[in-house]
Amino acid sequence: MLDLYDKIQEACASIRKTWDRKPHAGIILGTGLGPLVEKIDVQAAIDYSEIPHFLKSTATSHRGRLVCGELGGVPVIAMEGRFHMYEGYSLQQITLPVRIMRAMGASLLMVSNACGGMNPNHRAGDIMMIEDHINLMGDNPLIGINDDRLGPRFPDMSEPYDHFLIEEGLRVARKHDIRAHQGVFVAVAGPNLETRAEYRFLRLIGADVVGMSTVPEVIVATHCGLRTVGFSVITDMCLPDALEAADVQKIIAIANDAAPRLSTMVTGVLEADVSRTR
Amino acid sequence: MDPLGKFDGTYASDDLRQAIQFLRSKCSNFRPRVGIILGSGLGDLGQSIQSVATISYGEIPGFPVAHVSGHAGRLIMGRLAGTDVVALQGRCHFYEGWEGPQAALPVRTVLELGVELLILSNASGGVNPRFHSGQIVLIDSHIDGMFRPGHPNRLLESQLLESEPNVVGRHLVSYDRCWIDRAQRTAQKLGFSLPTGTYWATLGPNYETRAEYRMFRNLGADMVGMSTVPEANIAFERGIDVLAFSIVTNVANSDVASVTDHADVLNWSARAKTQLLPLVQELLSEYFQSDL
Repeated sequence: MLDLYDKIQEACASIRKTWDRKPHAGIILGTGLGPLVEKIDVQAAIDYSEIPHFLKSTATSHRGRLVCGELGGVPVIAMEGRFHMYEGYSLQQITLPVRIMRAMGASLLMVSNACGGMNPNHRAGDIMMIEDHINLMGDNPLIGINDDRLGPRFPDMSEPYDHFLIEEGLRVARKHDIRAHQGVFVAVAGPNLETRAEYRFLRLIGADVVGMSTVPEVIVATHCGLRTVGFSVITDMCLPDALEAADVQKIIAIANDAAPRLSTMVTGVLEADVSRTR
Repeated sequence: MDPLGKFDGTYASDDLRQAIQFLRSKCSNFRPRVGIILGSGLGDLGQSIQSVATISYGEIPGFPVAHVSGHAGRLIMGRLAGTDVVALQGRCHFYEGWEGPQAALPVRTVLELGVELLILSNASGGVNPRFHSGQIVLIDSHIDGMFRPGHPNRLLESQLLESEPNVVGRHLVSYDRCWIDRAQRTAQKLGFSLPTGTYWATLGPNYETRAEYRMFRNLGADMVGMSTVPEANIAFERGIDVLAFSIVTNVANSDVASVTDHADVLNWSARAKTQLLPLVQELLSEYFQSDL
């Protein structure tokens, strides 16, 4: 991990040439959730290929640019398109943007993802505030010699998701009549979706939803001292005894349909965080 | 040194041969009977060993250099409670980026020196609510949740060392029942009880989330930590008895968020050493010294 520090500085310097502001929050947009960007008053949009050490985004419906601007009047940087372990990248590479957001001055990380719902009380299209997670990716972005400038060797994980912001997210959802929950996200490497037996297992170990992202970014956010809030958009139901074949087009359609509701919640939570920390 | 050594059986075997040759050249007549790996906060146990030779990892060919605080990175050959022992002060964890042959080299070296018993120790998070901070628990089983291959090409290595592979394929994976009984009896004699438990090994380095603790508990674990399983597996494969102590440094309550701090972990393991050190000494003098 000792090479990260310089890479972060180089990437920041490059971004600052185009957009030299201090973001309050960094935002990572998951599969099908790109439309949130439309709510951002864009001041600069930088292709990933123009930022040193940034990866190329290869996943479906992930665009691959860093959007800098204001969301509800608050300065933010948003990743339109994220990186996944299943694309063959190392978790350390995937999570570099989180460290860059921190180095740019952000104090809050807002992550979103599209996920499979295993809790029978949930429905496709619902949004779940992530309360806690289980890392079943079989890997960790903090492996290697720790750089104490970036964070502690053994980060505590007793409360990786900000409790106050979970409450705020649910409050905003109630106010706008959005179906929302809170629950546990389990991350797997993917890229295949799970078997019925695996869904049964994941449910048994205490997860409400399953996805292939987010956990590496949140581990790194905790490591580098960012407050974190996570939004999972349930794009298909994965009930082991009533499982339907996954349809990627349908999943993306549901994600797109949920995007405005997600925007409302993200904007509301961001406002709440700004007024709390002001 | 490249911490991400790629799997290559030949390379591992050469390293092992070189490490053994180096140690033999340092003390040619020393034949340790017990190997000890000192975990988080237990490095001090090494001070009780009357050292014949203390060699830092950096001097031994192929040895990885430990980085974690509380781990010194030295191999000690000497006498503890009248028994010739070889101890590793500082282990190489997967979370530091060590993999495969290089991570396994120190423990393989210890086993290759001819020990009859491998004593392991670690600091762990308590998953079983019956445990308390500072308690010592004997590992009687484990769950490998590290998602990492242990070490490759074991057959090739055995051939190169001209020794018989103990078992090829599915070897017995168990912590020696006889040593568990002995340790429990000895602890009783010293005035404390020594429960047994199942140890879940994670990759780390972050401590666990509450949801993860809940999963470990539901799947049958009593403690969780980031070490020991790879080392125990190597000893099992070689047919060498393993006695593993885990010091519970904090008991997780998955329903209440409480922060785990590395300083607390070191603090609790330092306290437990006042029990563990006499226990290990007593075991050695009872079961090794007497049959000299």
